[in-house]
Amino acid sequence: MIALALQTLLLLGLSPLVTGAIRLGKARLQNRRGPPLWQPYADLAKFLRKDMVVSEHASWIFSVAPYIVFVTALLAGLMVPMVSVAAPLSLFGGALALVGLLALGRFFLALGGLDPASAFGGMGSSREMTIAAIAEPAMMLAIFTVALAAGSTDLTRIVQTTLEPAWGLANPMHVLAFAALFIVLLAETGRIPIDNPATHLELTMIHEAMLLEYSGRQLALMEWGASIKQLVLMTLLVNIFFPAGIATEITPTALGAGLLAYAAKLLLLSTAIVLVETTNAKLRLFRVPDLLSIAFAVALLALFSTFLFP
Amino acid sequence: MTAPAASSAIAAQLIALFAVLMLVLQLLLVGQRMLLTSIRLFALQSLFLAGIAAVIAFFHGAFHVFVVAVLTVAGKVLFLPWLLDRQVRRMRIGQEIEPLLNFPTSMVVCAALTLFGYILARPFTALERLGNNTLAVAMALVLTGIFLMFNRRKAITQVLAWLTVENGVMLAAVALTTYGMPLVVELGIFFDVIVAVMVLGILVYRIRDTFASMDTSKLRQLKG
Repeated sequence: MIALALQTLLLLGLSPLVTGAIRLGKARLQNRRGPPLWQPYADLAKFLRKDMVVSEHASWIFSVAPYIVFVTALLAGLMVPMVSVAAPLSLFGGALALVGLLALGRFFLALGGLDPASAFGGMGSSREMTIAAIAEPAMMLAIFTVALAAGSTDLTRIVQTTLEPAWGLANPMHVLAFAALFIVLLAETGRIPIDNPATHLELTMIHEAMLLEYSGRQLALMEWGASIKQLVLMTLLVNIFFPAGIATEITPTALGAGLLAYAAKLLLLSTAIVLVETTNAKLRLFRVPDLLSIAFAVALLALFSTFLFP
Repeated sequence: MTAPAASSAIAAQLIALFAVLMLVLQLLLVGQRMLLTSIRLFALQSLFLAGIAAVIAFFHGAFHVFVVAVLTVAGKVLFLPWLLDRQVRRMRIGQEIEPLLNFPTSMVVCAALTLFGYILARPFTALERLGNNTLAVAMALVLTGIFLMFNRRKAITQVLAWLTVENGVMLAAVALTTYGMPLVVELGIFFDVIVAVMVLGILVYRIRDTFASMDTSKLRQLKG
């Protein structure tokens, strides 16, 4: 119960920080001063205080969507081992439930974009679903690869297996699955080669287009939910493939060391994301499937290779 | 083999890792649009090949495989990419590659070919006499390389694809026989490749001179 509460707090508190850190790192690398690290917190606080403006054409789905997006991201986060090996929540199917929850969140995000019948929202939803249709299978295949090696889809079990010394760093399937999941991470969090998180330029936006009609508390929940989802996916990547340093027992020192290692790993992954975002140009929308198909093929190969390199 | 079990396990892991990275680079090459980036990807792939050769040479104490590694670095990582790079710049050809099949389809075809390569290599890798499983990867490199060759229109990208096929053959030769082929044979193959690329370079240049394009699909009539 305490673990549940602690991880919820960690997810809620850390996710805006990660968003802010990536934003700041990107700005610094581009010789801009950039917003301060705590800007996302300030944004969320401001959105939460503001009034909401809801289109009179919008139905109840529009108002419900932010809550579902937020709750599904949070639930998914509770199923991923963050600081300690044991995840506080284990719903049926582990990794499968995780993918399902994220898909449910995305479904309602797209519905929320469609519901007020604004032209941009519909466009954003359609693009989001186009990308998800390729990104999601790649993500599932990549997760199945590690699940197959662990003999279970339970994420705690998977992390335990990769922790075993026999695995080492140089596992070919893991390299492939990591590469695939990294591309999926860029797609799912709306990062640069696929979507630009910093723009409201109507022709290119995907995620922002769906949020255009939201304001006030609902916008805060949407943004916070997106941050949490980003943190969940990053945690998944970091802890499944590089579980080194994660706390295996529940003692204050082990947890402290685990937290430190977790923060260091997140920082490394954020740096990688910042580098990719700075050195790449955004792809034209119709070229996005090209990139994602690479992720899909690589994930497929990872799965094949499980049988090849026993 | 005098190497202790632990270090040979490390060697096997490193070889498998590098081989898989070569395969990933091959797939990136299939999905790559930019000509100059493709050349750099090929150079990186060759670097991993040299890495495999170095690992084998180091762990099995086979000196002549070191020679192969050094030659691969000198020739395929530095010289050939530089040569192709210079040619691309000198001819000022369009940067963008136009494949015959679109990229997602090519990726699916390449995944299927890789699977086919794995299945083909299965009887051999199941024997476990081969020290490692790189035969499957080598097979996949050859198959996807051949696919890459006829999926590209421009002559220079076909040369690049042919070089990746050669990388696959080299991988099989270096990794599977544990000690590599005799040095004389390897030297022969190596200089063949260098000379072939230079000749092909001149040929490509002539094609472009004559047809004002490098599109090989325009070469359909015999001159009578």
